[in-house]
Amino acid sequence: MDIAPYLLQLFSGLSRAMVLFLLSAGLSLIFGVMNILNFAHATLWLISGYVTYSLFTFLSEQFGASPWMLLPAIAGAVALMSLAGFALERFLIRHTYERELPEQLLLTFALVLILGDVIKLVWGLENRRINLGVEPMEMFDTLVNPYQFVIIGTGVAVGAGLWYFLHRTRFGKIVRAAVYSRSMVSALGIRIPVIYSMVFALGVGLAALASGVFLPLLPMSLGMDLDIIVQCFAVVVIGGFGSMLGTFVASIIVGVVYSFSILFWPDGALAMIFLILIAVLIWRPWGLFGTELRS
Amino acid sequence: MGTTDRKLEALMEHLRLSRRDFVFGGLAAGALTLTPRFAAAQAAKPYKLGVLLPSTGTGANYMAHCIKGLPVAIAELNKRGGLLGKHPVQMIYRDTETKPDVGAREAKSLILNDKVDGIFGTYSSAVALAVQEIIHEHKVLHFAATSNSSKITQDNYTPYTYQFCPDSNMQSGAVVVAVAKMAKKSNWKTYVSLGQDYEWGRDTHKGFTTGLAKVAPGIKEARQLWFKLGETDFTSYITAIMAAKPDFMFGAVAGKDAQTFMQQAGQMGLFKRVPFPGGLIPVNDLKQQRKTLPRGIIGLARCPFFAHLKEPIMQAYIKRDLAAFGKDDYPDDWACMYYDALGGLEQGAKKAGSISTEAIIKALKGATIDTCRGKRAFRTCSNQLEVPSYVGEVWDSPDYPFPIYKPDTLVYVEAKEVWTPTCEEVEKLKKKRA
Repeated sequence: MDIAPYLLQLFSGLSRAMVLFLLSAGLSLIFGVMNILNFAHATLWLISGYVTYSLFTFLSEQFGASPWMLLPAIAGAVALMSLAGFALERFLIRHTYERELPEQLLLTFALVLILGDVIKLVWGLENRRINLGVEPMEMFDTLVNPYQFVIIGTGVAVGAGLWYFLHRTRFGKIVRAAVYSRSMVSALGIRIPVIYSMVFALGVGLAALASGVFLPLLPMSLGMDLDIIVQCFAVVVIGGFGSMLGTFVASIIVGVVYSFSILFWPDGALAMIFLILIAVLIWRPWGLFGTELRS
Repeated sequence: MGTTDRKLEALMEHLRLSRRDFVFGGLAAGALTLTPRFAAAQAAKPYKLGVLLPSTGTGANYMAHCIKGLPVAIAELNKRGGLLGKHPVQMIYRDTETKPDVGAREAKSLILNDKVDGIFGTYSSAVALAVQEIIHEHKVLHFAATSNSSKITQDNYTPYTYQFCPDSNMQSGAVVVAVAKMAKKSNWKTYVSLGQDYEWGRDTHKGFTTGLAKVAPGIKEARQLWFKLGETDFTSYITAIMAAKPDFMFGAVAGKDAQTFMQQAGQMGLFKRVPFPGGLIPVNDLKQQRKTLPRGIIGLARCPFFAHLKEPIMQAYIKRDLAAFGKDDYPDDWACMYYDALGGLEQGAKKAGSISTEAIIKALKGATIDTCRGKRAFRTCSNQLEVPSYVGEVWDSPDYPFPIYKPDTLVYVEAKEVWTPTCEEVEKLKKKRA
């Protein structure tokens, strides 16, 4: 039996999984800590992609075209978008903490529309892409895109980095504590609003990192945010809101199941994801790695 | 100025029209529309034209040139006085967001609130089918020039719709002609299909498989892969195609999904292993993917400007768009077809001697009109314009800053070569709908 096609499908599934993880990590973190369902997360990811594109183009014009210009472009976009995220939480999101979930959803959905128009006005309707000139490489008697190793590597590094941050740093421990009981954290004299602003900035920064990493694979185009947000929600619900480990594992489940479904049952690939989602909602409504109770 | 007008103005501004261009171009349409009211003793009624095209969603990227080009073309028409030299055209733009429900809602609003006389649009076949129900109910003239499911002019036929784009069957037929030749030469036996899982994708695939089975029954389809509109990661599809080891692949993929697929497939080396003849590669993709598009790949186009450089209408059109938008901003297939639609409206009104919908549809029935693609006639049974499809090899031209189709490989597959079904069959389909 030739196992090469299955190994390739596993590889492409892992690549897809890391794409989903990078996107969903910020969404999960923001909901887990702040209890805000940020419908605009993917739109912030999209606008970050356009910002990265503009920085890359600017740097290439100033210092000469080179694939390495992507690194400072991503770093710049992450910094800018984190600042924007900080300001967004401070001046807008903060006013919705005491509101009902539908109101939060309405506000963040309004952001989707506004930011979509901002993209239209600043960058126009045409897709934006970056070409790094990567050549395919041979693996298992077929060809693959070596950049997918960068995606998988970045996903694993971000997962490990987030784990370290949340479990080994003081700030991370405070963030985790806030997931379980924000009033207790507040009672210890820790300024919850500052924590919230920084977590929101971190979530948006993660989205910016994700968009920068995807840009060489994926042309940025209007409406893409709404195409991808549904799968992100599926990942976060399956993994458990607020659980980074859950988001990581759920991303792998979704990515790999989707990939093998394309091989065996292409018409039902998307349905498979939502069947898993339904099963998790029935069996463990709080997600595979989420916690049942939170105050 | 209404909200819609303000939105359009902002959009035009950022479609790289300078303020001056916008004022002299976009507003010229409105200004010239109003001028005759004050200048002429007997003010003629303006012709209100609703334009339903997406500036959001999967079709936005392809429609950018249409949206900025139509006001300029209308301004030019209005300089001549408008329709019949006395009815200035007033354009009212609405974004369909590439969604059928939004398209239908906006069509209704254009008809009931803005009282439009005619509608141009849309990009997506699914949206066009939804819009057709509205225009049929209200008996409003409808010119389709991008959405090309064969259902638009057959199963869902309405006398109010005229089609300026080769339909999905004609396009599939053109690919069949090209593939059959290549299959014979290369002894191809199997293929894999990849398509967008919606009306146009399914219809195009059906047209191709049916057509190929007739001309080359020995070629078998090994697999079908369907993906949802807006797919962002084709990696798993590409590895699945490679795993099937087909002799070639067929694609019913358009819009931003086509660009994403082409980019990811190129990076994964798919086209080095599996030939992809006849994928939709319009001028937009030739321009936008100038660096990454594999040279030598066989593409399919609907109205590439470089195929009709000798046509006076095409020459004038290119000259005007380059003057308006910059020296490299050549019109794409979609803009070209909507330009022909505007020409069709002008010629229809002239032939009818009236701007009333009933008179224009009667005048255009089976009529021959002048277009960017030469003199073309409407098929009487379906109101489908007899236009060719174009198949050719992507090649770097010394004359343009982007690749075009190599002139000696460019095949014009005329409508009559690939008419499916026949007019008798179309009549049966129409009856089925009724």
